[in-house]
Amino acid sequence: MAVAESVDNFEINDYLRLEMMPHFLCPGCGHGIAMRALLWAVHELGIDKNKLAIVSGIGCSGRMGAYVDANTFHVTHGRPLAFATGLALARPDLEVVVITGDGDALAIGGNHLIHACRRNLRMTCLLLNNEVYGMTGGQVSPTTSENRLTTTTPAGNLEPVFDACKLAEAAGAGLVGREVTLQTPTLKDLIKEGLAYPGFAFIEVISDCTEIFGRKNDLGNSPEMILSQKKSMRPDSYGTVVDEPFRPNSLPTGVLARNDRPEYGETYRNFAKSKQGRAK
Amino acid sequence: MAAKTRKAATKPRSVLIVGVGGQGVIMMSKVLALVCQRQGLQVKQSEVHGMAKRGGGVFSHIRYGETVWSPTIPKGEADVLLAMEWAEGLRWLDFLRRDGGAFIADTKRIVPPFAFRSRKYGSQPIYSPEAPREVMEMVGSGFALDATKIATELGESRAANTVLLGVLSTALEFPVEDWQEVIAQNVPAKALEANKLAFEAGRDWADANRSAPMEERLKDLPGRDDRRAAEIAPKTVQFDITGEWCKGCDICVKMCPERCLRLNDEMIVELSDPEACTGCRICEWLCPDFAIRVRRVPALEPVA
Amino acid sequence: MSNRTLPVNIQGNHACALGAVAAGCRFYAGYPITPSSEVAERMSAELPKVGGIFIQMEDEIGSMGAIIGASMGGSKVMTATSGPGFSLKQENIGYAAMTETPCVVVNVMRGGPSTGMPTRPAQGDVMQARWGTHGDHPAIVLVPSSVKEVFDETVRAFNLAETLRTPVILLIDEVVGHLVETIALPKASELDLVDRKWADGPKKGFQPFAVTDDMVPPMPRPGDGYRAHFTGLTHDESGFPTQKPEKVAQAVGRILDKLERHRDLIESYEALQTDDAELLVVAYGITGRSARKAVAMARDKGLKAGLLRPITLWPFPEAALKEATKNARHVLVPEMNAGQLCYEVERICGTERIARLNRFDGEAISPAHILEKIEELA
Repeated sequence: MAVAESVDNFEINDYLRLEMMPHFLCPGCGHGIAMRALLWAVHELGIDKNKLAIVSGIGCSGRMGAYVDANTFHVTHGRPLAFATGLALARPDLEVVVITGDGDALAIGGNHLIHACRRNLRMTCLLLNNEVYGMTGGQVSPTTSENRLTTTTPAGNLEPVFDACKLAEAAGAGLVGREVTLQTPTLKDLIKEGLAYPGFAFIEVISDCTEIFGRKNDLGNSPEMILSQKKSMRPDSYGTVVDEPFRPNSLPTGVLARNDRPEYGETYRNFAKSKQGRAK
Repeated sequence: MAAKTRKAATKPRSVLIVGVGGQGVIMMSKVLALVCQRQGLQVKQSEVHGMAKRGGGVFSHIRYGETVWSPTIPKGEADVLLAMEWAEGLRWLDFLRRDGGAFIADTKRIVPPFAFRSRKYGSQPIYSPEAPREVMEMVGSGFALDATKIATELGESRAANTVLLGVLSTALEFPVEDWQEVIAQNVPAKALEANKLAFEAGRDWADANRSAPMEERLKDLPGRDDRRAAEIAPKTVQFDITGEWCKGCDICVKMCPERCLRLNDEMIVELSDPEACTGCRICEWLCPDFAIRVRRVPALEPVA
Repeated sequence: MSNRTLPVNIQGNHACALGAVAAGCRFYAGYPITPSSEVAERMSAELPKVGGIFIQMEDEIGSMGAIIGASMGGSKVMTATSGPGFSLKQENIGYAAMTETPCVVVNVMRGGPSTGMPTRPAQGDVMQARWGTHGDHPAIVLVPSSVKEVFDETVRAFNLAETLRTPVILLIDEVVGHLVETIALPKASELDLVDRKWADGPKKGFQPFAVTDDMVPPMPRPGDGYRAHFTGLTHDESGFPTQKPEKVAQAVGRILDKLERHRDLIESYEALQTDDAELLVVAYGITGRSARKAVAMARDKGLKAGLLRPITLWPFPEAALKEATKNARHVLVPEMNAGQLCYEVERICGTERIARLNRFDGEAISPAHILEKIEELA
């Protein structure tokens, strides 16, 4: 009931560039649901669109920024966190959100991810994980489940899977969480927590690629895919689940880690202030 | 004092305590039984619990006297009906003695999940419609109080049962010290202080209200009209589809709990059964293309 | 300029850092690499004093990304690197060119290819500076030849970047970067600084990449209410991707044309005794200094030698070269590489008159070496 009441004045169209719609994603792509959750969270926190900066990389996830009526930066492959680092340091007044994908953040941009986590600069990173390079036609990604077929793993994926949240936690991210798209209000609440967090918040959204990955692996249509993702998730806290997963891609959801440390931007500004005092 | 008690107990007396799982019905009957034993009386207590997990119905019969044979109370013979939950109190009202049996009830309503059969917005749960005022008028004697509220004000909502024990203690003729000692032995150490206060609060409430005329006591109780006023106004669902944005992914159709959506010949979503739609908005949330907008609007206003 | 502050002994790389701060640079992101690290070290000390931000990023690519991000946020920005790092930055330099985001990229050149010779001088990145990133893109490349010129050209690099909304590359020879010279630093009030043209008109219908008279549209600053979109995808005036041939031609054409249109602003060179020069030396950076001495020595010997020293390497000062080679029978291009700028000189003057002098062994070209070649040609 609380949920139903609180969403009543959220109109997603207020946050979209309507002239750009409909967006270009395939039918049933979970990225759209993740985008709604983000904009819903932005609305509930009362973030001014003029102060919202969305930095996205290359891939299906990277294209989503263009549909948001905010300051949007569609940058180079794997680098949105690097661009966002510059933007957030230069403009602490902005609400910086990075939208990235599994290939963008974990493969080509992996270095920036671990160091963004380490630095704990205030921003929110949404990793839309659909287990595949969708834009380029369905190649294997660091999060493709074992044995899955992709256009570059004709005999099934032989490589082990990346757990992005464990990586982010180990690298020192202030807040680490994961949610599936099916739980839209819960995902919205998690993103809200990330946006409100005074440090680096890393949120992995388990999304679905129906048209390419789903079809290749016979995972069913869009509704079946998002339901099966829900089934393979365990809504539990990180520390209390047993190490042995039910399935190879079975992952816990919710807020998985919290590591409250000084926010880097503030630390640096305080340091700079002390230098300015000395100069005078 | 002891002689008087024994004389009063020549015929077994019956107390029926009812509520829902988790409220402390069993704890209350244990306290009462122990207090009775302290008076040298025979006590028989029988209860139903366990099947009713938290939230399900729980009841406990307590019979005490010089000699008690039957462990259960026949209909219409309970001297006291103590109800921790309003509907449970009504359910057992038949057991109360018609000639002066005491009805002690918490006005709290605990509505079980299965009472919400209809998912329509604003629909009422299947729960007893009787309001405290009309029931008290019917019973003619007794106490209806918001024990949960009293306990919450004392800082421990879980001590509502002890508030009711305080009220009960004024209806029975056992020494107050016995009540206090037994309660102290049967509550967790950290909740001791809260329960002491709750017991006193119950006694104080009973003392303050016993002598008041019935009309006075009924005045503050909610009536049926008050309940109705608090009901959620019925609403109708406004359902908008931006057809040009829909890509026919079928997520909304398959995820709709009411099965009231379908794809038309052009693979665009449409509302096939407007009557069934409850306005839950799951389709709106899960539409990756932002093509669905669902709003509940007041039923009386014309839908734009 | 008058009223200079007291002269200081300063290294080229430090002069670059001070020039940047004087020009208004308030954000620097970098990654350690020889022989440019002193720029980062000096910036890490100077920027906090003026309320700026220094960050050492996790890699060269990240450094380039961070400065573009900060520039989009409104700061004047710089990074410095050397050969291998310059290679890594190329993709994002192209992004800055495409999104018309001002930034200054310093490349203190070292021997290459690959890891090459980190501590030895070379001028092997001349063509990379022009064509390093993929696709047709604009490039402004400046090559100072002294510590003082490093300072001045750094300031000018910022002014050009901000005026024209484009990345500007500063190529510094390792020899110049590590050279200590006594220079007088100008006072802040003496510098002509340019600030970016920010959008301040109506928000509704704002076109962030409109075709304006000067070919440089005002830039929307986040937070000012324009809510613009930036993308490395080819975009039309609205900033959103397009593949319409006429829009693509217009978009790419404009970012190239805006440099052509402002050649007078960009081009800078030193012409020495070129009027009657029968033999013109075209040399830049530290080689330009050797050439200056060599030309003087040649003149002493009665040879009609002259020097054209481009300070702006790209776009190449074509008209100046044509003018300087009017009477020249020979054009000598000494370079610390296997021959790079000579192709541009050949394009302008024809191949017949061109002579090369190349060295890529980690040693600078000496005046005597150039004089020898001049005498050989004369």
